[in-house]
Amino acid sequence: MQVFSDEAVNVPDSTDWLGTPLACLMPVEQAFRCHVCKDFYDSPMLTSCNHTFCSLCIRRCLSVDSKCPLCRATDQESKLRGNWALREAVEAFTKSRRAILDFARAPPPALQSPTEQSNSPTKRKATEMDGAKEEDQETKRPRRSTRSTKTRAAELTAAILQEEEDTTPSADPDYVDQPPDDGLVACPICLTRMKEQQVDRHIDTSCPGSPQAAASKRQAAVAQTPQPPSTFPSFNNRLGQSTQPQKPPERLPALAYSMLKDTALRKKLSELGLSTHGSRQLLEKRHKEWITLWNANCDSSRPKKRSELLRDLDEWERTVGNPGGGSRIGGIGMTIGGGAGQGPMARAQAAGAEIKDKEFDGKAWANRYGDSFGDLIKQARKGIKRQTLDGGANSGESAKEKKKETEAETEKEDTPADLLPRTRPDGDGESSVAPPTPMDIVPPSSPPRLDEQGGDTGMDDEQQVIPGTPEKGNSKWETSQQQKQQPPIAGDA
Amino acid sequence: MSINVAQRRLLQEYRSLTNNPPEGITAGPISEDDLLHWECLIQGPEGTPFEGGVFPAELKFPNDYPHMPPSMKFLGDVFHPNVYPSGLVCISILHPPGDDPNHYEKASERWSPIQSVEKILLSVMSMLAEPNDESPANVEAAKMWRERRSEYEARVKTSVRASLGL
Repeated sequence: MQVFSDEAVNVPDSTDWLGTPLACLMPVEQAFRCHVCKDFYDSPMLTSCNHTFCSLCIRRCLSVDSKCPLCRATDQESKLRGNWALREAVEAFTKSRRAILDFARAPPPALQSPTEQSNSPTKRKATEMDGAKEEDQETKRPRRSTRSTKTRAAELTAAILQEEEDTTPSADPDYVDQPPDDGLVACPICLTRMKEQQVDRHIDTSCPGSPQAAASKRQAAVAQTPQPPSTFPSFNNRLGQSTQPQKPPERLPALAYSMLKDTALRKKLSELGLSTHGSRQLLEKRHKEWITLWNANCDSSRPKKRSELLRDLDEWERTVGNPGGGSRIGGIGMTIGGGAGQGPMARAQAAGAEIKDKEFDGKAWANRYGDSFGDLIKQARKGIKRQTLDGGANSGESAKEKKKETEAETEKEDTPADLLPRTRPDGDGESSVAPPTPMDIVPPSSPPRLDEQGGDTGMDDEQQVIPGTPEKGNSKWETSQQQKQQPPIAGDA
Repeated sequence: MSINVAQRRLLQEYRSLTNNPPEGITAGPISEDDLLHWECLIQGPEGTPFEGGVFPAELKFPNDYPHMPPSMKFLGDVFHPNVYPSGLVCISILHPPGDDPNHYEKASERWSPIQSVEKILLSVMSMLAEPNDESPANVEAAKMWRERRSEYEARVKTSVRASLGL
């Protein structure tokens, strides 16, 4: 995991100003940082007690404690208001931060020769210093190597792109059209501009009634007549944008979970396109987290796409949502994957992801599916014995080897997980059915739910293959065994 | 893998602690692979029986840090009314938000997401100096501290010396 070595060095912090002549900027930067995440404010929101936090941070805090983390005054999510002035200030500061820091870290100009000074001294020095710093870090941390420079380059391009985006005219829904200073007045009904004395007649005869109608009429007119050379180009631009469907996303209301039955909650989740797997508690937590993510996104000046939010939720599910065993990751992953969700491959992938998870509890897994592992091992042994007999007719040596193998395996009865992959015949390209991997034989992503509250028979139960039921859970293994026995076995290697 | 809120915040705190270390405190993640597991060293505060000692402790952060507090455990022997014999530290700042069901602590003293590793360790330092014997974690230590202060101090000093190998 490279996270630490790369990110630890790159995480900007207010203490970066210490040791530079601009140490007094540390409190300034601290004022631009959220007290909860300690990062720069992201969509800052004002509480009823006049404290400010990132939208996501304060929404999470309130969902845990319903109190302001700073003064512990009781507050509600619905009372939060955006602090837009601070948002702009933070944006401006973060944009200029790098340059100011480079400037502060550069040696004082007195040390430089006059020729250097004319050649934009701060920039040159800054890049030189950066280079030196990077070399230094590279000798200290050999793992940093090329990746960090690549990511840095990527970051740079991203920053440039971001800046370009910023300079394009913004589509702010709250933009209020300033009346152009053209000596005309607007019709009070349809807002069309005209000479003052024309207004009365216009209302009596030709007023279309609503501003939208007028706008579309005007648009049509604009489209027909050639564009006026230069007077109001931006005005026309704005008009064009305002006619595009630009509904700001609506905030989701909180649910009173105690009033909802399991099925109703599942319905709510599936209406939102979220996974309905897991215990009641997890369902509530998932719904709550989605509302938090969604509503915080509504506060953002650059809202994320739904798919990005789903990814955030997935990330949350893997870490915070399910600290014990990550056995429900599949649920969400499948929802994102869309139609593939029900297929055995998706299930296998989900289970595979689960096994690879760092916090995967191998023992619990082995206990839970010990029976089906046992069945599979028995079948595998049978298959191998039969193979050994078949193979014995062809070549005595390989049969002997196989016998030895089987014997060795019988000694190791207690380690089913070890056995499984080895008993599997290798390297046959003819069989259309893939050799079973541990992922294939494990049940789907949500194991039997012992922690379920109330005897709810969820709809996902029908889709589940219960481990150990031979007709379903093991059928694949059997078919693959049969297919493998038909062609003559050529030997182990 | 992208890093989540807890990890990012811990990186930020680590950065801040290394750039601007508070006196008497060192702290950081034990390994790069697990940012949720820290080790720290606390100096015994001056003018207390703990003076001169250096006390290693581990901090374990939950996945929803900073919304929930970490747990802190001294790795050596610390004889103190608010430290369990196992080494686990029991102070209000490490208790999850909300009111104490036993009414020993005010909600205002408990964990809040605005707290930080630095503030925890500073609180622990002041706890070493001034034990709170209202809800003791180590009853024996609390009793001794209340009733036979000199004996308590002598015992702490002995264990500090032992920990330094003197």
